[in-house]
Amino acid sequence: MQNDILSILNESEGLNAKVFSLVRFKLLASLAALGQDGATYRELKAALDINDGVLFANLNVLKDMGYLTSGKITSEGKELELYTITPEGQDEWKRMRAWLCRFLHCGA
Amino acid sequence: MEEDEGLAVPVPPLWSMTMEKYEKVIAFFKELGFQFDISQFDDRLIAQKLVCLLELKGVDLGYSCSLYVRGPYSPDLTQDLYAFTREFESLETGSRLTPHEKETAGELGRIFGLKPVSLEVGATYGYYTLRQKSDPLEAVRQVKRLKPFYSEAQIALGVSKAKQFLFTPTEKDLDALKEETGIWQRASLSSREHRGE
Repeated sequence: MQNDILSILNESEGLNAKVFSLVRFKLLASLAALGQDGATYRELKAALDINDGVLFANLNVLKDMGYLTSGKITSEGKELELYTITPEGQDEWKRMRAWLCRFLHCGA
Repeated sequence: MEEDEGLAVPVPPLWSMTMEKYEKVIAFFKELGFQFDISQFDDRLIAQKLVCLLELKGVDLGYSCSLYVRGPYSPDLTQDLYAFTREFESLETGSRLTPHEKETAGELGRIFGLKPVSLEVGATYGYYTLRQKSDPLEAVRQVKRLKPFYSEAQIALGVSKAKQFLFTPTEKDLDALKEETGIWQRASLSSREHRGE
């Protein structure tokens, strides 16, 4: 039932509560859209306007949870760190989106 | 039986009904001499920005670009680059460019080359001015905010290339330019006359 708020809230137990931080949310949302292509550390830092300490720590938390991977790439002769979402990260992101939509009655 | 013109529906060309949209992109890559390698980050970046610049120029490739952390970007294109890697890397396509498309590809190649930084800055500037209707100063400010890791010179170069590729000067622009440079041309002519050249 759409207005059964209690059951919607209880469904959240199936989600990973550690992802419910604004920074992690922004990171997962950004990287989910880019798929296998990923984004570099400097792109995430500039576009999401997150300072180094917070960004680095949260990227590592998501990596430890198995939602992101990282590796070195070379662009224009510079070595950069590239972050990519894993299939598990995509699944968690889809679950979160679906639950949020249900919570907000946006029909997903 | 006579055809009822009122019922006529514009039919797209046969090739576009049978051809996948990625094939047209490969045709552009071929024309540009772009040897795509999926394992190279810069090649994936170049592919994205070429497609976004072409879309901004009005070439409908079917890959709409929106703003992501990497600037103007098409997730659909990423999916196809990975799904049809063999075709992209071998430039295998059944699609051909029209003379106008060839001309556009030539212009794109001549202005930008296959330089990732200029393409990235140019596509981002173009996106802000054409899609988000930002004025030129605001667009440059946004490019600097999104790409602070590029130098002033790299940004200036990319913006200038985007202007060259995406914007055709209007009659008014040309008149203003004529007025601005006219005084120098007249001075130069009178100086040559004075020297008896």
